[in-house]
Amino acid sequence: MTSTSESVVPINLVDDASDGVSHDHRGSWIPTFGMIRTRFMELRKRRGLMAALIVVNIGIPAIFLLIRLIMHAVAPKSYGPAGGYDIFTSLVAGVMFVFGFIVAATLGCTAGSVDLSEGMFRHLVITGRSRIALYFARIPAGLAIIVPLVAVGFTIVCAVCVFAAPTKISYQGINVPPGLSLTSFQSWAAQHPKEVVCGLPYRGPIGVPCIDRNGKFSTAPGNPGFKQISPATLKADAVKIAKQDYVAYSRIFLSPSNLLMVKAGLWIELEAIIGFVVGLGLASLMGQRTVAVVLMIVLEIVLTPLFSHSVIPHLINVQRGVVGLAMDHLEPGGLPRGFGGGGGGVQSLVPESTTVAVCVIVAWLVGWTALGAWRMAKRDA
Amino acid sequence: MIDDAPHANSRESQWAVETHGLTKRFGENVAVNDVELLVPRGCAFGYLGPNGAGKTTLIRTLLGLTHADAGTMSLLGYSVPRHRDLALARVGAIVDEPRFHGHLTGRQNLQILAAARERVAKDRVESSLERVGMAQRADDRVSKYSMGMRQRLGVAACLLGDPQLLILDEPMNGLDPAGMHEMRDMIKSLVAEGRTVMLSSHLLDEVERTCDAVAIVDKGTVIRQGPISELLAGATMEVQVECSSPEQARSILTDTKLGAEIDVATSGLSIHLAPGTGRDVIAEMNRLLVEGGIDVYRLQEIQVSLESWFLEVTSRLGESE
Repeated sequence: MTSTSESVVPINLVDDASDGVSHDHRGSWIPTFGMIRTRFMELRKRRGLMAALIVVNIGIPAIFLLIRLIMHAVAPKSYGPAGGYDIFTSLVAGVMFVFGFIVAATLGCTAGSVDLSEGMFRHLVITGRSRIALYFARIPAGLAIIVPLVAVGFTIVCAVCVFAAPTKISYQGINVPPGLSLTSFQSWAAQHPKEVVCGLPYRGPIGVPCIDRNGKFSTAPGNPGFKQISPATLKADAVKIAKQDYVAYSRIFLSPSNLLMVKAGLWIELEAIIGFVVGLGLASLMGQRTVAVVLMIVLEIVLTPLFSHSVIPHLINVQRGVVGLAMDHLEPGGLPRGFGGGGGGVQSLVPESTTVAVCVIVAWLVGWTALGAWRMAKRDA
Repeated sequence: MIDDAPHANSRESQWAVETHGLTKRFGENVAVNDVELLVPRGCAFGYLGPNGAGKTTLIRTLLGLTHADAGTMSLLGYSVPRHRDLALARVGAIVDEPRFHGHLTGRQNLQILAAARERVAKDRVESSLERVGMAQRADDRVSKYSMGMRQRLGVAACLLGDPQLLILDEPMNGLDPAGMHEMRDMIKSLVAEGRTVMLSSHLLDEVERTCDAVAIVDKGTVIRQGPISELLAGATMEVQVECSSPEQARSILTDTKLGAEIDVATSGLSIHLAPGTGRDVIAEMNRLLVEGGIDVYRLQEIQVSLESWFLEVTSRLGESE
């Protein structure tokens, strides 16, 4: 039998401060600045994770460029300048884009799961604070870490690629001045017709077949000698060759333009933000970090390239829905083709409009945030 | 379905915790079974039960860490989960073993928790640490803390919200005797300040020393609740008698109408009297024995402990099953 006591006299000695508490918007979905600040602190104090983020986002490109700078300083004839357009595009599209996504996803997975795995989630729920607000506090806190890190790494790359761009180079054995526009390059070719006709590659017929014998130019056997060829013909061929070779020339000689750098910077920042937000949602949904990180890596380096390099007729819309392909469609022109998307002016295997690509990205950001927040709100603590 | 009780102002409610028909199932297993629990304000209340009785599940349900399957509940007069934010604003709790971010210091962990509470909570971090005796170690990483230190930090976390109600799940776990003594004193001091402390435990002796009232839970059901003194008053009274000729003494007492259960021991008798028996019965037994020519060397009423009462209650239940 259960007996209920009436003899323990209930008392109200403590001042009831709940009236004051009711105005602190504890049930609101919007996190306070203090929650974001302390969440930022919690993530920032994870030394191993921070070291990995710094190494990948800043260390790898910085060390790569440093080695190139040193090698060029020691043996300039053997090793080209550290910077330049090619190096910039390779680092941005080949390294920072992919690895930036992975480390951002790792940070997101950590932010999404450690409260649960380390037992703090329970303490936080007991405060009465909205679970959604607890989730949302992680987003600005994590982005406050990953966005500046990517920006620092990217700034280093930009600085080296601009300030250590080639000032002169021997292009196909010919000393060509750097930084020429197409018109200037054609003018220079017209002034050095023999070198251009005999030294630079060309696909297609020209009027002056040429042989380069250790820097001594002569026409091919059976053809009239240079003296018999009119200077106008020679110049016309040289200009034609220069025009075809300009793209390759510009990639070697030019430093990246300001516009390209801005676009590329925003592009890799967006990729990092996606990595973080999706990782956060996935880890929150799963309740643990390791599997979530593995899945994010699989998405980035297995699934996305796989879907990029082939068109699966019945799954074309699924392919369009992969966020990596959507990001590839937003790749700034001038960067090399990434996973096979439409970036860099290259036609994508999976056709997709920019609007659709943007919608896919927004859907991933909103969808994973909603999933993560929902799971956090419903999860047993 | 959970019925939401009307929103009551916390000043008006006399109960710190109130549940009616609270039920929580995990599949076929009923962890909390139709619990009717009333915890008065301003006292230390023990929630007692053997391992697996559903103590922690009830606490988790009260705190909104898991949802209830049926019944109503309120904390400090606010119905939960409807007014969970208002209710928990003045509740501090430790559930299971207190765990924190190991890579952060104790102070930093409290700062995180304070940030989730009201604005002034961050000003209570230092005082909370001092109160639990952790101020000196507040800047050490939690990964270096002992279990007892984490328990203290857990209590400090509870104090951040200046709670009217503290719910402590097995607070003595991992504490050495000195730590248990300190925890006991702290609980008493919190109650002395007018706060309510509800603690779950299977350490009956500790609960008896600390609490004013208890509820006994077994297999998810509350089987007794009330002030300890009242509950123990309902237990059978044991009287030990050291005397000559125990067999003869037993026949003398058996012939009376005392209604006692009498066991014969080598040096005397062990007499069990019905609950509520007055002390005058003991005097009457003594008189009968002396008049019967029995030499009485010692006659002692054995104080019933919470532990013996608990075992008695649970063994009765076992018998009825």
